[in-house]
Amino acid sequence: MAEAVVLHPSLRLVGRPLPRHDARDKVAAATAYAADWGMPGMLQATVLRSPYASARIVKLDTGRAAAMPGVAAVLTAKDVPRNTLATDVPGQTTAVGPLRATLHVLATERVRHQGEPVALVAAETLEQARAAAEAIEVQYEPLPGVFDPEAALAPGAPRVHEAGNLLAHWRIARGDSAAAFARAAVIVEGEYTTQFVDAAYLEPESGVAWIDSDGVITIRVSTQVIEHFRDVAEVLQIPQNRVRVIGPYLGGGFGGKEDVTVEVYLGLLALRTGRPVKMVWTRQESLLARAKRHPYRMRYRTGASASGEIVAEQIDLLADAGAYAYLSALVLLYSTVTAAGPYRVPAVEVEARCAYTNNPPTSAMRGFGAMQTVFAYESQMDRIGRALGLDPVEIRRMNALRRGDSLPVGQVLETHVAMPELAERVWAALGPVRPARAAHVKVGRGLACNLQPYGRIVWLHDWSSAWVGFEMDGSLVVRCGVPDVGGGQASSLCQIAAEVLGVGLEQVSVHIGDSALTPLAGTTTASRQLYMSGNAVLKAARELRAQLLAVAAPMLGVKDSALDLLEGAVVADGGRSLPVPDVLRRCAREGVPRSHLAVYHAPAGEPVDLATGSGKVFPDYTFGAHAAEVEIDMETGAVRLVKYVAAHDVGRAINPQSVEGQIQGGAVQGLGGGLLEEVILEEGINLTTSFASYLIPTAADVPDVEALVVESGEGLGPFNARGIGEPPIGPPAAAVANAIADATGVRLTRLPLTPERLARALGLLGKAG
Amino acid sequence: MSAHPLEYAAPETLEDALALLATHGPEAKVLAGGQSLVPLLNYRLARPRLIVDINGLPLASVHADDGRLRLGALTRHHELEESPEITRRCPLLGEAARLVGNVRVRSLGTLGGSLAHADPAAELPMAMVALDAHLTLASSSGHRTVPAREFFRGYLTTALAPDELLTEIAVPVVPGAGWAIEEFSRRPGDFAIVGVAALVSLDRHGHVEDARLAFAGVGDRPVRVPAAEDALRGGEPADARLARAAEIARDALEPASDAFVSGAYRRLLAGVLCRRALGRAVARALGVP
Amino acid sequence: MIRRLVVNGRARELDVLPHQTLLEVLRDTLGIFEVKEGCGEGVCGACTVLLEGRPVSSCLVLALAVRGRAILTVRGLEGEGGLHPLQEAFVKSGAVQCGFCTPGMLLTALAFLEHHPRPTREAIRAALEGNLCRCTGYTKIVDAVLAYARGDEGHG
Ligand SMILES: Cc1cc2nc3c(=O)[nH]c(=O)nc-3n(C[C@H](O)[C@H](O)[C@H](O)COP(=O)(O)OP(=O)(O)OC[C@H]3O[C@@H](n4cnc5c(N)ncnc54)[C@H](O)[C@@H]3O)c2cc1C
Ligand code: FES
Ligand code: FES
Repeated sequence: MAEAVVLHPSLRLVGRPLPRHDARDKVAAATAYAADWGMPGMLQATVLRSPYASARIVKLDTGRAAAMPGVAAVLTAKDVPRNTLATDVPGQTTAVGPLRATLHVLATERVRHQGEPVALVAAETLEQARAAAEAIEVQYEPLPGVFDPEAALAPGAPRVHEAGNLLAHWRIARGDSAAAFARAAVIVEGEYTTQFVDAAYLEPESGVAWIDSDGVITIRVSTQVIEHFRDVAEVLQIPQNRVRVIGPYLGGGFGGKEDVTVEVYLGLLALRTGRPVKMVWTRQESLLARAKRHPYRMRYRTGASASGEIVAEQIDLLADAGAYAYLSALVLLYSTVTAAGPYRVPAVEVEARCAYTNNPPTSAMRGFGAMQTVFAYESQMDRIGRALGLDPVEIRRMNALRRGDSLPVGQVLETHVAMPELAERVWAALGPVRPARAAHVKVGRGLACNLQPYGRIVWLHDWSSAWVGFEMDGSLVVRCGVPDVGGGQASSLCQIAAEVLGVGLEQVSVHIGDSALTPLAGTTTASRQLYMSGNAVLKAARELRAQLLAVAAPMLGVKDSALDLLEGAVVADGGRSLPVPDVLRRCAREGVPRSHLAVYHAPAGEPVDLATGSGKVFPDYTFGAHAAEVEIDMETGAVRLVKYVAAHDVGRAINPQSVEGQIQGGAVQGLGGGLLEEVILEEGINLTTSFASYLIPTAADVPDVEALVVESGEGLGPFNARGIGEPPIGPPAAAVANAIADATGVRLTRLPLTPERLARALGLLGKAG
Repeated sequence: MSAHPLEYAAPETLEDALALLATHGPEAKVLAGGQSLVPLLNYRLARPRLIVDINGLPLASVHADDGRLRLGALTRHHELEESPEITRRCPLLGEAARLVGNVRVRSLGTLGGSLAHADPAAELPMAMVALDAHLTLASSSGHRTVPAREFFRGYLTTALAPDELLTEIAVPVVPGAGWAIEEFSRRPGDFAIVGVAALVSLDRHGHVEDARLAFAGVGDRPVRVPAAEDALRGGEPADARLARAAEIARDALEPASDAFVSGAYRRLLAGVLCRRALGRAVARALGVP
Repeated sequence: MIRRLVVNGRARELDVLPHQTLLEVLRDTLGIFEVKEGCGEGVCGACTVLLEGRPVSSCLVLALAVRGRAILTVRGLEGEGGLHPLQEAFVKSGAVQCGFCTPGMLLTALAFLEHHPRPTREAIRAALEGNLCRCTGYTKIVDAVLAYARGDEGHG
């Protein structure tokens, strides 16, 4: 549990909307992203990918390609020292039991999805590399495929993997739901489907690898997980301490750079050629090759009493895992645990399965399985409210979880649950209803709430480490292995260290994301980085503070408890003070370290038996509520977003401006998934491999997002902050679907909520539709 | 990024340009704004041997004479939007150009390029078909004039021969005509799913003297619907009549389905947008702002 | 072919192949990395440069076709020793997260404001519709452009 932190009655830096140090470099375009790097003598590399969704490789001949001008290396599966890549829990250092997800680095005799890597080429120029890749002779024999998880689990379905198509299965059964349903006054049933979604960060996957002067394979890559150095070492079959991953500032990640991207290929090619190698995926390649968000089919049956209390829920989830496991089993676990939403449900049955198909692989993406379910449970809530004549806030108020309640999996909520108040606040913030602007336009409003875990599953025994130290001139250095995906991860760490150690932000330098030189901090995923590394920096800074004050106390002739660190000086009660550099010199003389390395361990636990609901799965949760106002063109089905408000309890906002940014950006991504985005596949072939066909929202598609930053003062992060990276992406689709239902009386249950789907539901395309 | 040899020529006179096209024929590709051609080159979907950059040719002029607006093929989309000369004589063109792509496309993209590229969902080809524009095609052996309706031959296919250059577009100016463009796209700036251009002129009695309707996104080229136009002519432009004409147009169209949008939905849109466009065009013809 | 490109007021002679885009030449030949590649097809706006004051997608311009013409990148904006006030407004307003879209956003916004000095939020959104941002949700970008247009000093 987080200790109560009282440093100063009023914090100087924490809690203030301070401009981020990295923003200055970025507006000046001085930030060197992964693709902005180069080395003398560098080769350019490309990947040859399967055009088929399911096929056998009957011939693979690289002879002609290897002989082409400028070609330095052509690699296939047989050239990979260990052609197996573990993909179950990126960056994990402790064993995780039975989960064991692997894939081939390069395809052997079988390809299971379009875009599966078959060969690598490095050449003097990119054109030469591409020409050589085209010249590789591959003969495929197409095999039957399966493209829908339901079909994949049917008897006799083509097997994607020998062991069968069922990848994971989680169950929860709590309470006597049959009896509870029998007592229910109203039962609402619904089936909801979500689509394949792409992370679609603006910066495509990219990196450069070289063998450094000390012989260490060094890879500077756009990644959320520098701990992949271990995976590279494994594949290359060299010791882990001979690989170094440097993670520069990312051009966005959103979970899509959690699994390995280019780093293993670069490692292989650098090792083979002995030369620096660069690989940058095109947008088309990124949209084709990267793992997507899982599509879900979710069947919900919800029973409520006449007054509106939910008494029972039966939930059946089926996710498309695509061709390889990646993080599917864990994503599904998140869905299972959050399936009933932020509500008290005494009797719950959840059946959750995910199946292999010959579709693109699916894995981590912001929201990580806890977001698809929001669309289902919040649509259900709305329908129950409507059935009973209760307004959207009222039905949620009646059923909201409170502190001390437990989730269906048995986890007791130990921190504040801001549920009813968040819903009330966003609903009120929509303001008075505006009349429709034209006869063919209807206006509607929708509300959706959610809960999202922050921090890793407790039995993964998560930890982060950070180093904080003073230089002799009193300036401060923070070292921490976080990758900064753009969310202000690094600058928040500076804010925390500067707060504790009484220096100005401009006096802090932060070094991040280097697996050899910065203490490892774990992945920038799972809304964990502020929570985990923030706590590590806080711990290191506190220890350092104590070290310094202990040395300063005798210098000032007072007890160290009477001292404070302010504006670069140690100050005593009476106003006497010592400049920090003076204290540092004394430290040096007395052999007291001027730095501290701290490791923060998250509260750990053992795996729970979900079925019997025995306990804690996640450290804690962040709650939220969003409200949308839409205008519907009743003749075309077009949906225009008019107003959008989003509130989350973030415990404490370390930097309110960054928090607002996370909420606004997450909400718009969620709106994209709700209204526009869809990876369209035909028999596993991706038809949306360009930004002209994979539609992410533009500035003109969305309204301003009013972000309400709510601070309950409770959370497990530093200064009682909660994670906020993922939570805002959950509610938007449901809020919009509920608003559409409010305006039109028609409920859409399939994402994205396209105008054509709405037109069809409105009966505009004839009865047959 | 193409891995084969590519030559580049930037002729300074029309004669030189036409001579290059005559010599190299299908091996050559004309480069205007590049907003359709360069993506094709980048993806190696087009692999010409020679790029003939026509941006140095004197084809960017705008003239008005004897009831026609004559636009050089190199008139850029942003000029169509911004030029007072064009806006005064043919405001439909500005409305069409504003809907094309994003601001960067409009900085460089040209009228001639858009017509020559002949995307069936594009706004400017639709506008030219509605306006009954005439296109001048030049080659080293002379030049010919083709009505817009005959210029478009199919998906990305036109009447241009490999050695021909589109040099000028002549748009008849109809004083007092009301106009409107309606389009529907998933995001602003995207190619339209369906677009419609309407032109309506009224006689002294306020009856419809002439009406023209052209659609984009409903076939392999811009489509006129004469039956709907006929249904408007001669009568009062009352709402019911506009709605009826829109229904006729809708029913006459047979848009195909693809992986993104069904034909039935395109057809629905065509009807709704047509009625709205007619309503706005009539209002403008009546002088209602 | 040896050609002259004029970037941020500085003329450079360099070898350009016919198929090379301005984006490729800026990044790979001239090392001008502030111009980003997000899509290579004219949609995202990360590669925006101003060509004689107008925003263009450098990924859709053949380098040979703009020989001798004035090209401006975001590095050309900086005043003496400092950031351009619009850059300052982006920092203050929190309009930058990953920053990958930022150079293109800045240039597009400046070109727009040149002709629309008193824009509404809606007009700013419409002007930026061709520049994708996946991080911010755009609200703070609009805040920043508006703050700059209004000449707000203290806060964005
Ligand atoms: C992101 C994006 C979005 C877009 N959105 C839209 C949209 O919404 N609506 C729309 O209509 N268009 C859209 N476009 C296309 C745009 O309008 C192009 O500008 C136009 O299609 C081509 O004009 P251009 O001058 O750029 O021609 P180029 O690309 O230079 O040439 C296009 C073709 O025409 C030929 N050609 C060009 N000029 C001549 C000539 N004078 N004589 C003979 N042949 C010639 C070329 O050889 C080539 O085959 C979009 C483009 C992009 C990149
Ligand atoms: S890279 Fe040029 S517009 Fe995206
Ligand atoms: S800040 Fe990341 S794309 Fe805009």
